[in-house]
Amino acid sequence: MSKRRKVPTIKEDVTCNLIPMVDIMFLLLLFFLLGADMSQREAAELVLPTASEIKENEKVKTDDPTTTVNIQHAQGGDLGKCPLNANNGYCRLPDHWAVVIRGREVPRELLKDQLKAEADETLETDIDPDAKVRLSARKIIIRADKAAPYGDVNKIIEVCGLVGIYKIEVGAAVPPPK
Amino acid sequence: MAGASMGDEGENPIAINVTPLVDIIFCLCVFFMISFKFKQLEGKFDSWLPKNKGSAGSVQVEGILDEVRVAMFWDEVAQKTVRQLRTRRVDDDDELAALIKEAHDDWVKMNKPETPVTIDAEARVPWEAVIRVMNLCKRNKIDKIEFALGAPPPVGAK
Repeated sequence: MSKRRKVPTIKEDVTCNLIPMVDIMFLLLLFFLLGADMSQREAAELVLPTASEIKENEKVKTDDPTTTVNIQHAQGGDLGKCPLNANNGYCRLPDHWAVVIRGREVPRELLKDQLKAEADETLETDIDPDAKVRLSARKIIIRADKAAPYGDVNKIIEVCGLVGIYKIEVGAAVPPPK
Repeated sequence: MAGASMGDEGENPIAINVTPLVDIIFCLCVFFMISFKFKQLEGKFDSWLPKNKGSAGSVQVEGILDEVRVAMFWDEVAQKTVRQLRTRRVDDDDELAALIKEAHDDWVKMNKPETPVTIDAEARVPWEAVIRVMNLCKRNKIDKIEFALGAPPPVGAK
């Protein structure tokens, strides 16, 4: 006579406790939510030259009229990919470099009109009328790619001088710690 | 038990199905993870333009003293910037910084510490090279830096 072994039955459910996972997911979500920058960025994606002696950006006052002028290599579109720029070379073709303000490319011939319009929005008020000068209170931040031709930056500085903008800042990146 | 619910059913008769919640949070997490980007730490050089003059001429040279002018040219063949102070070509940053300091100190000795360093760069020179010279000037505590502009075309010229 053979004895039959009774197979034990499992009565309790094996459930996965999701609460710790939900907690961690919430923390991750919170981190990425706070870290994400959803604002309309004036600063274009470009590689700034590094400089050790720069002043780090303090918190920008919202009432401080500022315009960021980016000089970046125009890739894609009709021009296609520039092999020189793609290989970290110095592309010197003038057509390959674009001036971008608030995400929009400004043609060189319209640059003066654009900056004049920006300058006229906020004029300096505390100027002696006898001086007969017209100065803008607007600040221009020039963010040029490290490989951008100096001539383009020079042109922007020149146009700023012509339209009465005298507050100019040039952007640079903080070098990585050694 | 359908799906995964929180807590013990015995204690809490209304079980909340958290599976859709986890799904949504997971999707949001993936979205923010992909769009997340670490910001590069940025700074700036203040470079206020003179209020009372446009593109002024170069500094008047007094006596035998030369103005502090760093000339920069673009070597198309070697794909690099050539820097020159007075008649000397300088490749090394530290050497250029020392030469700029020496030239500027000559003006300081003449009680003219406001004498600027003029950066006279060719249009094709990369911006990075100009920033490097500006950085060297700032390292030497020279705040007044001028950019040389090309002379405007003569009146009536086409």
